[in-house]
Amino acid sequence: MRVLGFFLLFAGVCAGISAVAQESPRELFVQSAASKKAALIITGPTIGSENSAKYRQLTLSLHDVLARDYGYSSEQLVLLYAGGTGIDSRVDGDADRAGIVQALAALEMSLQAGDQLAVFLLGHGTGVDDEAKFNIRGPDLNGAEFARLFDAFTRQDLVFVNTTSASYGFATALAREVAGEGRIVVSATRSSAEKFDPLFSRYLIEGLKERRADRDKNSRVSLLEAFNYAKNNVDAFYEEQGRLAAEHAGLDDNGDALFALAPAPDESDGRLAEIAFFDAAIADEASLSPERLTLKRRMQSLEREVLLLRGRKAEFLEDDYWMRLEVLLMDLARTTEDFDANASQ
Amino acid sequence: MPMLLSRVIASSQLGSVACGLLLSGLAFAQEEQSPLLQGEQLLLSGAYAAASDVFLRAQGVDREEGVVGASRAFAALGNLDEAQRICEQALARSSAADLPLIATQLAEILRGRGQSAMALALLQQVDAGLEQPPTRSIVEYGSLLQFVGRRDDARVQLQRALDRYTDGLVFSSEDTGMVARASWLLGDFHDANSLFTEATRLDPSNLEAQVLWGELFLEKYNAADAQRSFEDALAVNSRYLPALVGIARVTGNREALERALAINPSSVLALETQAQLLFINDAEEEALAAIDEALAINPESMKSLSLLGAKAALEEREQDFAELRARIDAFSPNNPQFLGDVADTLGKQYRFVEAVALAREAIASDPNYWQGYTLLGSNLIRLGEEEEGRANLEIGFDNDPFNVMTSNMLKVYDTLDSYLTLESEHFKVNMSEKDGQILWPYLEPLLEESWDTLTMKYGFEPEGPILIQVFENSQDFAVRSVGLPDIGPLVGICFGKVITLISPDTLSANWQEIAWHEFAHVVTLQMTGNKMPRWLSEGISVWEEREGRPYWGRSQGLDLVRAFEQEKLLSFEDLDKGFSGAQNSADLNFAYFQSYLVVDYIAREYGFEGLRELVLQYDDIKSDTERFREAFDVSLAEFDSGFLNWVERRVAEIGVYVHKEDAPDEGEGHGHGVRENSSAVLAELYNNASLKQHMGARIEANPKDFQAHLQLGIVLFKEEAFDEARLSLETAYQLLPEYTGYPSPPLVLAQIYEKLGDEPARLGQLRLLLENQQHDYASAMTLASHALDSGNLDEAAYYIDRALQVDPYRRDVHTLRAQLATLTGDTALAVKENEVIVTLEVDDPVVARTNLAEAYLNNGDAALAKRNVLSALEIAPSYVRAQQVLLRAAALAAAADGGGE
Repeated sequence: MRVLGFFLLFAGVCAGISAVAQESPRELFVQSAASKKAALIITGPTIGSENSAKYRQLTLSLHDVLARDYGYSSEQLVLLYAGGTGIDSRVDGDADRAGIVQALAALEMSLQAGDQLAVFLLGHGTGVDDEAKFNIRGPDLNGAEFARLFDAFTRQDLVFVNTTSASYGFATALAREVAGEGRIVVSATRSSAEKFDPLFSRYLIEGLKERRADRDKNSRVSLLEAFNYAKNNVDAFYEEQGRLAAEHAGLDDNGDALFALAPAPDESDGRLAEIAFFDAAIADEASLSPERLTLKRRMQSLEREVLLLRGRKAEFLEDDYWMRLEVLLMDLARTTEDFDANASQ
Repeated sequence: MPMLLSRVIASSQLGSVACGLLLSGLAFAQEEQSPLLQGEQLLLSGAYAAASDVFLRAQGVDREEGVVGASRAFAALGNLDEAQRICEQALARSSAADLPLIATQLAEILRGRGQSAMALALLQQVDAGLEQPPTRSIVEYGSLLQFVGRRDDARVQLQRALDRYTDGLVFSSEDTGMVARASWLLGDFHDANSLFTEATRLDPSNLEAQVLWGELFLEKYNAADAQRSFEDALAVNSRYLPALVGIARVTGNREALERALAINPSSVLALETQAQLLFINDAEEEALAAIDEALAINPESMKSLSLLGAKAALEEREQDFAELRARIDAFSPNNPQFLGDVADTLGKQYRFVEAVALAREAIASDPNYWQGYTLLGSNLIRLGEEEEGRANLEIGFDNDPFNVMTSNMLKVYDTLDSYLTLESEHFKVNMSEKDGQILWPYLEPLLEESWDTLTMKYGFEPEGPILIQVFENSQDFAVRSVGLPDIGPLVGICFGKVITLISPDTLSANWQEIAWHEFAHVVTLQMTGNKMPRWLSEGISVWEEREGRPYWGRSQGLDLVRAFEQEKLLSFEDLDKGFSGAQNSADLNFAYFQSYLVVDYIAREYGFEGLRELVLQYDDIKSDTERFREAFDVSLAEFDSGFLNWVERRVAEIGVYVHKEDAPDEGEGHGHGVRENSSAVLAELYNNASLKQHMGARIEANPKDFQAHLQLGIVLFKEEAFDEARLSLETAYQLLPEYTGYPSPPLVLAQIYEKLGDEPARLGQLRLLLENQQHDYASAMTLASHALDSGNLDEAAYYIDRALQVDPYRRDVHTLRAQLATLTGDTALAVKENEVIVTLEVDDPVVARTNLAEAYLNNGDAALAKRNVLSALEIAPSYVRAQQVLLRAAALAAAADGGGE
């Protein structure tokens, strides 16, 4: 049972959100230089040369983007691809049950409490509801079976992004069954009726690339930003084609296994996704001079005040809200200017 | 929420009917049946001659029904004399009240022969002589009373039938169908629908009820359910004439009508319908002959008289029209149907002013004629009288919620209520908020330019403001235009003072050309009081496209050569039939093209003044022979011959060979969109070696075979034999430089040069391409980007405008225009473009807002700059660039206030 109060959002902006359940008071998705991040990409088998080429390109792009733009080292980034290491030098193992178990065992050894593991599933899925499966080499896995593989990761934050066709049933079972706190599950589809290969992965990777999805310009990409980027572009694609959308991505981060199509920090889903960042490397503040550190703290404090005010927007009259916001943002702009002016210190 | 008449009959019921009939047939074979039962089965199977014989064998208590059955069978074959004679013979020795069913049958025959007074007298005898006449007699009597204008008396009789049903005294399917008819005549459409449902449930082989039900649907513009009713009837009896005619009315199916007339050549119903279809297809003489035939049988045929009335009204023969009204008033005083039918026809012929006047008269003669309010409302809104039009549609809907056209048109107002109303000097425009922001800044100057250009050119200022409604949803566009949700490939319609358009957001065509085309209609339609023929109106609008911009319009040289060689050019008399009789999109496109050719011929042969004079000739009612004589001093035959000679010369000038195996280019958007060269597109899929060989052989046989050169060039390009490909494609281009299809020689040549890395040559080909191809967004953007990069700002502006003409809803073109604005120091334009970008941006609203804020700042508007940058910083408080814009905006505001920070 998790209880996330609004006040925790405020605290969570920079530091992460606490799971207030009595038995597990740890902070979720903590962004600090001390916490570590890892990613596991699993690409199942594909049929036909065109499909194979497409998924190979998507997989390797995702791998390279995480390594290049988000600072994942080879130890932090594991790629399992159907066919194994002969496919490409970046592949660490086969996308079969043994390969997944082995990779997770290694990750379990390297990840500490409070670290973050993001799991990306690419390829195909089949079936509906609880029997929906992620196609891998050998016997396929359904959502509940896949969730069991993460039983040892109860002290880590987990992000699952299932981009496959028929991902909905799998993702629902996974969200329901996966143990522990701090779990975010993304499904590229919203119902079992959406069976075609989704475009979602293409735009998700595009959004991660060069941090295009960084909507709030803080030079970091959160899962919520990446999700929204992909979703908006999928919608735009279908609109431009004049076709009814064949896929609707959803996100669940409150553990109820109900996927929100428009997650947001003030909705039932979206609070954790907003603070789950992909960046593996966090800037170290130790090198800052005392003056700059003071300014930095002031900037962080003002940012938090802006977010707090934004969260209470509905409580204010329109003009009053913008006036208050302007005061804070002017202060923040001047402080940032001073901080940058002292860059030599 | 509007209610719809809907059917609840299950198809399995019809299955059981067929099964029941089969079983009856078997029983008939095994044991002796009464003539009555035998006759009914024969009648139901369409064996009318046999049925009449068998019915007449009925004796004793079956005798009365036997005579009625025989009379119906004779009538079904068109033998009205015999149908009447046997009834009269039976009644010779008895009173009408003694044999009410025969009397009623005779009354129906007499009414169908235009003797409503005699029919009424007969039914009055039945009514007077019986305390409880048969239900059918009551309803027929009520219907006749209504027909002769005795509405209060009619209401009493019709209500009597309903009361009998309410008292539980109506049992049979036939009588239930009659009560349904009574409800319909009383305007209780909901009850009528329920009763028809019950009648057909009680006896699915009650063909009369099935067809009446279908006609009720048809009256309410519910074509799908109407068709199903008629088909259900035909499933039982494929020779049931009213159902065959019903099918023809719903679908325009001539075969069904011909079959009906083969069964009964003197069916007034079939003849009226035939006349109506012939009028629609511009076969006026044959239509009049059919009407004459119908009126010879039934001089009181309201539909036939309405058709004559519509023709008289269209031709402004006031005396004839008045005589027709008087003729109808003599037997059916104050009948609103005639005026309503004529108003409907006038509206369909774009004579909205006259249609409105007649619809008003129809309502005045019977305020309960709800269809009149729909006619009045729909024609008023085509005149731009939105408020009054809507009010009348609402009256129609409140009293007849089953009228699909009324409810559809009112639903469109829900859309229009959410739209913006924007105004320029001569136009009033309804469009979505999105279009208001993105399209309007470009549409407004174009409309005013079209007004200035065309009003000056034609020396005519239309009555304004012109109302333009731009719909995002094609169904709304269709309903607003014609009342029903399917309108085919049309993208814009002009009614004279009102234009409806599909939003360019749902098109891939040059929206500016479409708007220009439609405004040309405004001028020519208003010049002639909406009296010009469609060919001339469309021909001028297409012709004016090319006059508007050199790259607009339609260069269909290949189609012209093909049509000429295959002798498919329409004669002058058949130009309008090209539109009304078009079977598919290609036919319709060609009708537009040939109309354009005729107008082009007129303009070249007789000058623009000649063309204008011809338009003015249509303001008066006269024959085309007179018009052409007065405008050009030639007979129609001379004109036709001159046109054909001119076409021959043009074909010779074009000078390309068209191979019979090549299909014409196909395009969407009613001739406004890209026209695809399917042969050239498919060239990529063929086996290259055999195609190359085949095209080589074609070129050898006919060196001017444009398509062969083009296809060969494409194959060689695919094989990366670029030099050879270039030769073929350049030859194709030389043969037909104005070719506008896709792909065209310059397009493939541009791709070759791209592969070769020869950027100047590639850009040169793209420029050539855009000289004739107006729908290519990507090429325009490539050229615009290149021009911007190389500092050629005039060229950049030109190609950005070309891209906007195809798709103003894409961010990249506005980004280029914002860059251009910055380079030219046009800060107002930069603001405008950044405003559009903010609307279109999906990925990066923060940067878009910041850019807009900066544009405002550069334009000296600190307040709007601050407002926008605050919106950006609300999302991204730590975004440094936005913070800097905020500080600059604050400083500018402070300076403007006379203070400093």
